[in-house]
Amino acid sequence: MTKISRRGLGGTFIRALMSSAAIATVVFGAAAPASAQETLQVWFTKAFYPAEDKALRDVVEKFEKKTGVKVELSLFSPEDVVTKSVSAVEAGTPPDVGFGVTYDFRTTGKWAFEGKLEDVSDIIEPLKDKYLPGPLSTTMLFNSKANKKAYYAAPVQMQLMHINYWIDMLRDAGFKEADIPDTWKDHWDFWCDKVQGALRAKGQRVFGIGHPASVQASDTFYSFHMFMNAYNVQIVDDNGNLTLDKPENRAGLAKAIADYANIVSRGCSPASSVNWGDVDNNLNFANKTTVMTHNATISIVAAQFDAMNKPENTPEQREQARKNYYENIRVRGFPQKPDGGQLPELAAVKTAVVFADAKNKKRGKEFLAFFLEEENLQTYVEGSLGRWVPVRKAAINAPFWTDGKDPHRAAVKKQVERGIVFFPFTKNWKFTVVNAENVWGRATARVAKDGIKPEEAADELIARVKQILAN
Amino acid sequence: MAIAGAGAAATTKRSAMSRQSPLTNERTVAILLVVPYMIVFVLFVIYPVVYGLYLGSGARSYRRLFQDPVFFSTLTNTVIFLLFAVNVKLFAALLLSGFFLRPERWIRWLSVLFVVAWAMPSIPTILSFRWMFNPEWGMVNNLIFYWFRVDGPGWLTERHWGLLLASVVHIWKSLPFWTLILLAARMQIPKEYYEAAAVDGARNWQQFLYITWPSMRGIYLTSLLLSTIWSLGDFNSVYLLTGGGPIDLTQVLATLGVRYLRMDQIDVALASVIVALPAILPLVWFMMRRLSAPGEENAR
Repeated sequence: MTKISRRGLGGTFIRALMSSAAIATVVFGAAAPASAQETLQVWFTKAFYPAEDKALRDVVEKFEKKTGVKVELSLFSPEDVVTKSVSAVEAGTPPDVGFGVTYDFRTTGKWAFEGKLEDVSDIIEPLKDKYLPGPLSTTMLFNSKANKKAYYAAPVQMQLMHINYWIDMLRDAGFKEADIPDTWKDHWDFWCDKVQGALRAKGQRVFGIGHPASVQASDTFYSFHMFMNAYNVQIVDDNGNLTLDKPENRAGLAKAIADYANIVSRGCSPASSVNWGDVDNNLNFANKTTVMTHNATISIVAAQFDAMNKPENTPEQREQARKNYYENIRVRGFPQKPDGGQLPELAAVKTAVVFADAKNKKRGKEFLAFFLEEENLQTYVEGSLGRWVPVRKAAINAPFWTDGKDPHRAAVKKQVERGIVFFPFTKNWKFTVVNAENVWGRATARVAKDGIKPEEAADELIARVKQILAN
Repeated sequence: MAIAGAGAAATTKRSAMSRQSPLTNERTVAILLVVPYMIVFVLFVIYPVVYGLYLGSGARSYRRLFQDPVFFSTLTNTVIFLLFAVNVKLFAALLLSGFFLRPERWIRWLSVLFVVAWAMPSIPTILSFRWMFNPEWGMVNNLIFYWFRVDGPGWLTERHWGLLLASVVHIWKSLPFWTLILLAARMQIPKEYYEAAAVDGARNWQQFLYITWPSMRGIYLTSLLLSTIWSLGDFNSVYLLTGGGPIDLTQVLATLGVRYLRMDQIDVALASVIVALPAILPLVWFMMRRLSAPGEENAR
């Protein structure tokens, strides 16, 4: 066998490397598939319920028939649609249209600020009168590249915060629904001391409140914002400037932290709530470890609705689910504020976007406009069985919400009528980072687990928020 | 004449080679054989590493990383995790390697069971631990309540318990592997040394100190280095067990990147990986130096 010299080996290696790179380029980066048909890439969150996905597919089918454009629809889990979209935007290869149920929490404002989204004002303006007053304001966003504010996203649906409780467990503890106080402190004490105490006395190892307290769960910061609203804490002004550090807001923040942490520290909530993900408060409620829980969306009861219609369940399981849905679980809003005033509903508006770097922006906007037509959007939102709340006037007044046949949807409609407010990140996108880091959950944990004073935790929180805003 | 003849022969040989088909040319064949590996290497190693370094290269990313209070607690946790888990694991492996060297049949069967922990997939096993140690309905706390009528510790809801449990899971999972490595090293030590020592009246601890340890010292140190490098990247033991919680109090460097990815801060996620390089690279260099050194120096 011929000896190959060291120089020969090095040359061979380099030729091999270059050949590999060339072949890889040809195989993976070569010509796009030959196709005469125009295509549109659409990424959506995969729904919890088949009816929602079916409604979307129907919209896609109608759009394809109308325009002759082939829609490449991809459905992802709520987490995946965000991570994939973020990666695609970073790589400069986003889809044409995107819809994620946590886009608003995590990315919409940031993308708008960085000029990664297409201005969709021409779609929204004709629809303005059809929307409820508040939701549209959350998609009027600032683009620092274009130095303007415009509609950079379209509101699709929204979620509210609800209190869910087991009526049968309440009865088992010796109470009626009318016994539930509507005043702030008494409300939380009722579940914690009276209901939990009574059930524990019967030997049941249960907890009064399913109280998300982790940094992983979006439920934590959502619920904590409700507590802050209860104390009239203003985090930012209308221009997005921080006002949390003002004395009255700092004082309110400390009280909110104290109240939130107190539920954890006195054992009213499972200890593992400091580690909960977004589904864990649902699970703990469903298996009756907790008597009451607060949850964004009515997914808890919607799961029972789903179970009562699932053909793979036994008749007994379906009957139990029906009983749970109509008789055993109640949905309501938060109690009154500590000052006795009505606590407004905190809404998170879910947004669909057209990406600025999309290959087919024109068709993307056409698709979005088509999806937002009343009939299409209403069918899609109603497919979620009440989990998502409409952002349109006609839709929220439709029989689905108003015919009185469904107690939970009726409760949700009542909550909408109480008035809705929105998250600070709709005015300052950097609060998406603040929420992602969940400085709120960290502050309450510092009080509940480390025992520091709420005022100290408030100061730490404000300092960290300022750091994040400055970056 | 001889030189001219040799020159002519060389010329003839070169002409013959140039007339050969490219497919039979040895160099071309070598390239073709290497190309598939190189494609995979370029696409799945070179490109991601370079792109990752590029994404994590901004100074702003490091500023945000160092300003995050979670980062410094993560560094502390990583050091504690490495110091405790790696040393306890290797020491236990050293002791167990002596135990499994014994000839009894039941010990051989036990060694098979012992290895199963390492052989089983990480995800279901570690998630089983997570379920067993759930404070409310986990088997462990339920048994504690059943026997003693008290609530058990917050295994996954307190920082020190969480870190301890993550270390225990890590040790449980990887101990069999290192025990096998050290067992193989022990088996290389000639029995005659021990027989001679026994004849001279040496006790067990003296045999260990003067025969076993000097023979195993090199492999032990190499195992320690390699285990440290691997443990620095042990994602499963922490993430699957505590998720880095509660409140990010059990995050280690291996899991911190995922935290930033979940917050859609790709650049900071990669920066958190890159900051570990100053710790890893010297270890890797030192280990490679040991492995490439000849004979005795390597054994030491």
